Amino acid sequence: MLLNLTDLSDEPLQSQISRQIRAKILAGDLAAGEALPSIRALARDTRVSVITVQRGYEDLEREGLIHSRRGKGFFVSELGSDTKARMARDRLTGRMEPIVRAALAEGLASDEILAAAKAIVTSQSEARRIDAGQDDDNQGAQL
Amino acid sequence: MTKAFRLIDLVKTFPGFQLGPLGLELEPGAVLGYVGPNASGKTTTFHCMAGITRPSSGTIEIFGRQAGPHDAAWKLDLGYVGDIHAFYENWTAEANLAFRSKFYPNWSQDRARELAKRFDLPLGAKAKNLSTGNRVKLSLVAALAHSPRLLLLDEPTSGLDPVVRREVLDTLFEVLESGERAIFYATHILTDISRLADRLAFLKAGKLAQVVAKDDLLAKWRRISFRYAGSLPELDSSVACDTEAGSHRLISSDHDRTLARLQAIGAEGIEVTRMTIDDIAVEILKGGNYVATR
Repeated sequence: MLLNLTDLSDEPLQSQISRQIRAKILAGDLAAGEALPSIRALARDTRVSVITVQRGYEDLEREGLIHSRRGKGFFVSELGSDTKARMARDRLTGRMEPIVRAALAEGLASDEILAAAKAIVTSQSEARRIDAGQDDDNQGAQL
Repeated sequence: MTKAFRLIDLVKTFPGFQLGPLGLELEPGAVLGYVGPNASGKTTTFHCMAGITRPSSGTIEIFGRQAGPHDAAWKLDLGYVGDIHAFYENWTAEANLAFRSKFYPNWSQDRARELAKRFDLPLGAKAKNLSTGNRVKLSLVAALAHSPRLLLLDEPTSGLDPVVRREVLDTLFEVLESGERAIFYATHILTDISRLADRLAFLKAGKLAQVVAKDDLLAKWRRISFRYAGSLPELDSSVACDTEAGSHRLISSDHDRTLARLQAIGAEGIEVTRMTIDDIAVEILKGGNYVATR
């Protein structure tokens, strides 16, 4: 498994590991039931300490994305679409919290904040409609 | 599980200096970084563990075997790279390795050659003609060729160029992969082990200041700046604080606690930044009034 870790980021290595594997799972690059590399193998490949990888895996295990089988290692868990949606919602809330808090501190009203969010959603679905129209022929190749 | 090593109340005294009493242990598969300023006792600890000097008191166990002068079996599990590189100066590097091989049943000549190639060590050169860096490489090959279960490395990358340094660190990551071997790694430059080490032991004037999981240090320590008009009350986990006309900048060994306190007293404009492992180590070794994290 190829991960791309850096010491130059504000994000701890442990979170870089869990975030990049989470993205692979949610994007379907890692299928349910697939085995993850052993903690030691990943530590060697990514040149980080065993504890760092272990903690990254534990984060993913707590979130229900992976599970361990005694003596066999870690595997990608079966995720229902409602679980995926709930995770996406949780992450959105987490990311929005500081932004909303800052906006409130700068004196914006709650309907102004909601309107800003709505404007972003509208412009994105607009853009997606245009993309989908142009890329109809290529969709098979992309998947 | 048998520990890779255990130090129990280890003490070594010299005129004007005492190391210990030290209590320290390491499990197989893990890396313990040993961090301290010059003359803090790191090398003395290694000399005791490698049987170069006898402890004044206390016990050393290597993979369950007690170190002592009467039975040298515990030394077979050790690979040591230290400050002294003792070789036969008129012999070639290869002849020196061949001589070492006779003491270790597990010695692999293939492994020695492979390592020499990776580290770019000229095996045909006489020891007395080797540069400082090449002597370190020869020590590393000699310490690794019998695949010991415990590596004691005392500043092993000093004098090496960046390419060989990387090769050495890569080799150490590979040594660890089986989960059966352990590394005790002394340095005062943390950059080398900032990724390799699982835990760090901080040694200051012969005493352990703190033994802690490296990731916990990175997660908890922060530099925090804020504005607060009145005189600043005592703050939890605050290690050092600079003040300038109502602006303050402090270092916290547990930012959650410090931030909760700052919010409670109504501090404004709070900014929090992460610290590098080197910055944190300096603060620990300077020894402010930090609260030890476990």
